[in-house]
Amino acid sequence: MLDRPFDYIGQDLRSTFRPQREWAQRRGLLLIAAFFFSGIGAGGWLFSLFLSWPTGLVWSLATVVVASGAAHLAFLGRPERSWRVLLRPQTSWISRGVLGIVFFAVSGVLYLLTGAPAWADAGPGGRLLLTLSAFGAVWLLVYKGFVFAYAKGIPFWNTAMLPALFFVTGLRGGSALVLLLAVVAPEGPDLYPLEIAKLWVAVSFGALLAFYLWATSESCVAARRSVRELLGGRVSVAFYLGVLAVGLLLPLAWGAVGLFRAQPEWAWAVVSFSSLIGDFYATYAVSKAGVYRPLAGDFRVAPKTSQR
Amino acid sequence: MSPKAPSPNEASIQEDRWIPSACGICYNLCGIRVRRINGTVVKIEGDPNNPAGMGRICPKGAGGGIPLVYDPNRLNVPLKRTNHKKGFDEDPGWVEISWDEALDLVTEKLQQVRREDPRKLVYSQNLMRGTAPRLLPMFAAAFGTPNSIISNGHHCGNAEHRLAGLVHGVDTSQVDFDLCNYLIVFGSGIGASAYYAYSSLTQKMADARMRGMKLVAVDPLLSPIAEKADEWLPIRPGTDGALAMAMLHVLLNEDGLYDAEYLRGGTNSTYLVGRQGRFVRDQATGKPLVWDTPSGSARPFDEVEPKDAALTGEFTVGATAVRPAFVLLQERAKEFPPERAAEITSIPASTIRRVAREFGQAARIGSTITLEGKALPYRPVATMFFKGAHGHNNAWVSSMAMKWLNLVLGAVDVPGGLLGTNPVCLGYPQTGLPHWVPQLGPDGLVMASAWHAHSARGPEMTQPWPQREPKAPERLDLLDLFAAGSGGHISVLLTASDEAQRFGIPYKAEVLINEGSNLVMSLGNTKVVAEALKKLYVINLNLFLDETAHFADVVLPMASYLEQLTPIIGWHLQHTFPAGQGSWAEYIQQPVVPLAGQRRDPSEVLIELAQRLQILPGLNAAMNHVFLLREPYQLGLEEKYAWPDICDRVFKNFYGPEHGLEWFSEHGVLSWPKKLEEVYARPFLKYRVPVYLEWFPDLGRKTQALLDKLGVKDIPTAGYEGLPGWKPCGALEAKNASHDLQAIYYRVAWHQFSSTFENPWLGEVSSVDHWADCITINRATAERKGIKDGDRIWVESVRGDRVRGRAKLSNGVHPEVVAIANNGGHWSKHMPLARGKGVFFEALLPLDWENTDPVVTVLDCDAAVRIYKAKDQETGGRGWE
Amino acid sequence: MRYGMVIDLKRCVGCNACTVICKAENGTPPGILWARVLKLESGDYPARRVSLPVLCMHCQDPPCQKACPTGATVKRPDGIVYVDTAKCVGCRYCMMTCPFQARYFNDAVRGYFPGQGLTPYEVLKYQDHPAGVVTKCHFCKHRVDQGLQPACVANCMAKARYFGDLDDSNSEVSQIIRTRRGYQLHADLGTDPSVYYLPP
Repeated sequence: MLDRPFDYIGQDLRSTFRPQREWAQRRGLLLIAAFFFSGIGAGGWLFSLFLSWPTGLVWSLATVVVASGAAHLAFLGRPERSWRVLLRPQTSWISRGVLGIVFFAVSGVLYLLTGAPAWADAGPGGRLLLTLSAFGAVWLLVYKGFVFAYAKGIPFWNTAMLPALFFVTGLRGGSALVLLLAVVAPEGPDLYPLEIAKLWVAVSFGALLAFYLWATSESCVAARRSVRELLGGRVSVAFYLGVLAVGLLLPLAWGAVGLFRAQPEWAWAVVSFSSLIGDFYATYAVSKAGVYRPLAGDFRVAPKTSQR
Repeated sequence: MSPKAPSPNEASIQEDRWIPSACGICYNLCGIRVRRINGTVVKIEGDPNNPAGMGRICPKGAGGGIPLVYDPNRLNVPLKRTNHKKGFDEDPGWVEISWDEALDLVTEKLQQVRREDPRKLVYSQNLMRGTAPRLLPMFAAAFGTPNSIISNGHHCGNAEHRLAGLVHGVDTSQVDFDLCNYLIVFGSGIGASAYYAYSSLTQKMADARMRGMKLVAVDPLLSPIAEKADEWLPIRPGTDGALAMAMLHVLLNEDGLYDAEYLRGGTNSTYLVGRQGRFVRDQATGKPLVWDTPSGSARPFDEVEPKDAALTGEFTVGATAVRPAFVLLQERAKEFPPERAAEITSIPASTIRRVAREFGQAARIGSTITLEGKALPYRPVATMFFKGAHGHNNAWVSSMAMKWLNLVLGAVDVPGGLLGTNPVCLGYPQTGLPHWVPQLGPDGLVMASAWHAHSARGPEMTQPWPQREPKAPERLDLLDLFAAGSGGHISVLLTASDEAQRFGIPYKAEVLINEGSNLVMSLGNTKVVAEALKKLYVINLNLFLDETAHFADVVLPMASYLEQLTPIIGWHLQHTFPAGQGSWAEYIQQPVVPLAGQRRDPSEVLIELAQRLQILPGLNAAMNHVFLLREPYQLGLEEKYAWPDICDRVFKNFYGPEHGLEWFSEHGVLSWPKKLEEVYARPFLKYRVPVYLEWFPDLGRKTQALLDKLGVKDIPTAGYEGLPGWKPCGALEAKNASHDLQAIYYRVAWHQFSSTFENPWLGEVSSVDHWADCITINRATAERKGIKDGDRIWVESVRGDRVRGRAKLSNGVHPEVVAIANNGGHWSKHMPLARGKGVFFEALLPLDWENTDPVVTVLDCDAAVRIYKAKDQETGGRGWE
Repeated sequence: MRYGMVIDLKRCVGCNACTVICKAENGTPPGILWARVLKLESGDYPARRVSLPVLCMHCQDPPCQKACPTGATVKRPDGIVYVDTAKCVGCRYCMMTCPFQARYFNDAVRGYFPGQGLTPYEVLKYQDHPAGVVTKCHFCKHRVDQGLQPACVANCMAKARYFGDLDDSNSEVSQIIRTRRGYQLHADLGTDPSVYYLPP
């Protein structure tokens, strides 16, 4: 199941727009999951801090450390050497990201050990840790965008818009995570500010996504091909169903209704869950739609006499 | 988690050797060196000491061997068939048997037919394993049978071989890439994707193009050579002859661009032709007469100064109106004005005129070049053709047309022109062997000295000139009847339909010894071949349990070219060795790994069989004959020799006592420089070349008379023409409103016919190529027929045979053509990597008399077809019906 | 010292001998083609076609090296970029950052005869192809270090490949790049590839 997509390597290699598969399919799904968990965990941490809600903090941290960490490790070809990825923060966004995870995890755990859920209750040490962990969380929300943005091989990703997009998806995912936790937890915080924040983030996400697709499709042929894969190609089902319908329209519609009429708690759970699905699919779809830069992009075919 | 590979340990290397040998993936026998570490073959590369390949090797040679040696699907034990019903869907019921039992079985069967009539034995071998002399034909000679099936049948160069024999005095021809400035290639991948001396000529061709040689490729497909050409002329398949005729017309009749001096002195152009197309001859000597202009009289050709002989005009000798043969050629060319040729070929008349003119002018008629202090005629132009152009049942006349373009410009066997493949060999300096020089034959024409001479196929095959008389057939390939033929598929035709009787042959084929050729996949229509195999007891020496082995009765596991011993001497120098300046080389193909399982070297097996059949004296005599063994190396007739001992004698016989098997095993190759007179034969030898094959119409009449006597009515002999020309091939005639396309076959550089498809490395190359595993269709044509890129389609011939494959659209193929690479689409479950890869082209070819050129016995290698989408449920199966 | 390769597209006949000799030399597993040939068709019928052999471009500012979190991708002082398989963790980030599709992930030990084990050749050669890491062309550094040319250069039948020191303005490669107007693929990306092409 998680074997390399070896059967169609021939087809891939001969196509003008060779799809990237290692970060989207089979074992590559683990990396999508890792990105997804680190994003929602970091976002959830920030919202839980904002709400001063210990349960949310614990679960958010666990999402990053346990779920994302495990997925990261399982994704690697050589997990036993995983410590090596910390070695190149000077140049590598992966190193920077993983260091960020470690930093976040350490500061987060230490903060939780102080036992003070809220800024107001924390001592100076706690406040420092809290600040550090918040920085760590923001870093986690940002770095994967930079990971993608640095990928010169995949023009669809190779843009400064992706960090912004992934920052927003992480925030939205985080708010959804906390909302979901709040619904299922025996005692939760007041949901209303979260609902508003989540709705706002979802609207921004939609707007950013639209802008991203428009802008990249104008940038080069390979990126345009990726947009076509999203809108009408290999990735369109995931995009329309996962990202748009379940991930965006449903939460938006329900959220808008919720502004005017109070909704039952289970409804918020559904909306949160669908947002999370949308969040996963956003990373998945962007990743899977990536096609490599054609090798002959600037190839010069000199005019030659044929059938003069 | 996946298993970890063992960690490298360089200290564990006990042995690291480079072993010189010869490639055996195709017929070209390029020199290789094989690296062996601790007994494992790890690399094959070109042998820089060997001029055959010049240190570089094609993809087949680079990657063909290692997976072949280690393929777990190779045969390792002898097998016996237990289900005596044969058919595509019959399970042969293989059981493993010992070698002893296998040889007993085979001996018994062979003894039985030999008692009845030894000619009931037919043999076939895979010429793809090189043109080195191999034992099976000698075994057959000793057994007493002349009957063979040339396994690559219609892929062979029948018409080219005969014409090369008549024009160059050798088997094949190559371009003088060192000096040629303008090359027109008709339907060949020379120097690009295939052809003789492939690894060498690709280097030379690239050098020539960089030097500025203009390359024009006439090809229905944007093949690798068309890709590299300065000009690609997409042509309707089977019409190359018409294009060549129109170019001849432009040269001879419109522009007067021809080498009159050469035609007068170097050809039979001036011979006077009288009634019924026959030469007027001197009554006393029988020599053809020419018109001596100064004296105004007809005199024997060798008594007139060439400059005085009339090339054109009309004269009277006695009461007979006569004309020089050249005039007949001119008039034949007039039948093909470029406007007519344009309709036939789909190439614009203006293009034909321009290319012909450029070509004629580039010949620099009258110029000389000084090489090694000698002034030699310099004609830096050549046309050459191969299977794509002459694989049609109009092969004879078309091929003459393409070859004659060189003749009229004098660009034959001179610097810059079309060279015979090594027409002269004066031998290794210390021994003078091997040695051959074309001789002066009757009518002053060249007599090939060693044309197919090292084959044991019998005297029928030895000389294109003087022409042997046809006679009532006794051979299953009918080469005694079709006296200009070269073998191929006819034995199969005669066996499949019990036709032997029709030709008055007093016996039928009963046993086939097949050494590794996949006849079912390589001889045209599969069903016909299968019918023939059902009627035969098939002894198959093979590497794999392939589609042909499926019809075998006994299968014997063989050594591949990296596991067997073969001396590479003689014939290949005229067939596949690089022509032109450079060096000679004779070398060795030797085992680099021990035989796995119960595999055996085929030579050892045949010697063993000969002993069991008590025909060892005959086999030893045949080896003495073919290897030209003299004392003290001659084989005693009664003695049984081990194969390495025989090889040792062969080497020493040619190259002296110090150059025995041991020397060759260590050094691999013995090389010495070519002399100028070996490379450019014509200026050094006083012979003529025919532009008019006076005897051919007569040959046709005699053949017809024999056919009449036999009551055979369906084989037309009108094609026995003495002048170039063109007529439509079978596929062109069969095209109609529904079957409006022609299916053609082409070769990619990394596959050898059907024999490399089990190789996973080469298969992987095909898998990353756009077209190699697909059916290439012109984009506009496909769109008109509602076929999209990647659709699964059927290609169906007029007779309803069809093959399935994936469509790949291209703007690089003629609108009336579908093109299929090599012979893929294997279906044997014992070749799992080959199975289902590529498309099985051969199934489309009709295998019958109607599509056979009886002159040179070649099959029409294209087919009129229609294409349509396959239904979704049509998957699996054999991919052809 | 900077090793570089020049590929003459006018000479190249697209035969794939480079693809295969690379396989034979380096023993790369199935689906991993360090060297390969693209066929590009352009124009309406009758079209033109060009064969474009590709391999790792050995960029002098290699994005793959920067992306590598472990330092497994190394650029030698002579310009050869290679993967130290003992350090690679198999994150495949380099594959995303390489603009030339030159990298492959070898996820498991796999032979060319599925279900039939490894051949003796594969057993030997796969010592250099551990599973779970990314691999790519290394200009046959084992040959170059012995003074030999990379296998694809030494064997090219059309003699379409040249190999030498790009830093030496008198080297064959430098001269031919000058005289025949050699160019790099995707030069605009600023990675400074060490593989140059000569126009067809």
